[in-house]
Amino acid sequence: MLVFGLLALLLSGCGSWSWGRRSAGPVGWGGADRQDPALSGNGRVLASVVRRDGRDSVLLQEQPSGTVLPLRHFGRLQPHRSPSLSWNGRYLALLVQQGPERRVLIEDRTTGRLHRLPLPGGLVPESLSLAADGRRIAIATEGDGRSRVQLYDLTALLEPDLPAGLPVRGAPAAAP
Amino acid sequence: MTLGAGRLIRAAAVAVAGTLPLLLTGCLAPLPQPLVGLNQRLEAAGPARGPSLSGDWLALIVSRDGRDRVQLVDLQRQQPVPLPGLERPDAQPLSVAVDGRGERLALVRQLEGRTELVLYRRNLMALQPVPLQPPGVPRRVALRGDGRELAVEVSRQGQWQVDLIAVP
Repeated sequence: MLVFGLLALLLSGCGSWSWGRRSAGPVGWGGADRQDPALSGNGRVLASVVRRDGRDSVLLQEQPSGTVLPLRHFGRLQPHRSPSLSWNGRYLALLVQQGPERRVLIEDRTTGRLHRLPLPGGLVPESLSLAADGRRIAIATEGDGRSRVQLYDLTALLEPDLPAGLPVRGAPAAAP
Repeated sequence: MTLGAGRLIRAAAVAVAGTLPLLLTGCLAPLPQPLVGLNQRLEAAGPARGPSLSGDWLALIVSRDGRDRVQLVDLQRQQPVPLPGLERPDAQPLSVAVDGRGERLALVRQLEGRTELVLYRRNLMALQPVPLQPPGVPRRVALRGDGRELAVEVSRQGQWQVDLIAVP
């Protein structure tokens, strides 16, 4: 009986180890809810939405250290939802609330620029996904009684963020 | 006109000329262009939500015939690709993510009253459950570009947490 129990325990341990799990962990706000995770293409930046003082705010963290990375523009435009990152985490695309409007914004963490993506009238963005190279974005919207996903070309707006791209201020050092 | 006034007017003209391009740049900032052909195809496929874009691949959840299913679109060919072994008529997909090669899809779905996280490998046409430790109820999932790590939102005892899971 004991042997079977130990075996089950070992197997369970091995299963857990082989999937290599870890929690993104608290970052100084106690047991705050954390939702909407997004990884940069290279996996070195994690974005998530953390509830602080009743407001949903995007949090950017270097991985695996958990160091919080600075953002310039999003402080006053809460709540946040549906963050999405490019390959090196240079671009952070996000849905923000500006008064009664929900808008799509992209912060360029290298230049500090903020890009606004206007949508056709009547369409409310629900979620988004930025391509890792920053060349396209997919936006899910609600409007006219229908949910739809539409793709937009961003090549005229953003420089590509490729694996050998520009270093990002505040980003982790390059891998050896 | 005095000499001083002339200089002032010239300086003002230079300042305006210098500022004009900046103003025009602001007004004429490039706008994102809708990918019209692709969007028409997506529109024709039915109501859709939950996009995940990576490389030349778009994964999303499409409603058709009263049922939600996962669709993977090859953006180069502008065509959906088959996902044999992924779909079950009794499963309800909640969130999907795709890697940059379109090979791995992470999926949160409801099946037989449970919510589970699974990983689909397209080259193997195989679905693998991803156990959550400690147990919890998954909701949204994201994948790293190379598909070697996923981030998943998990509810445990009334609190939402984010787990990072290395994919073997």
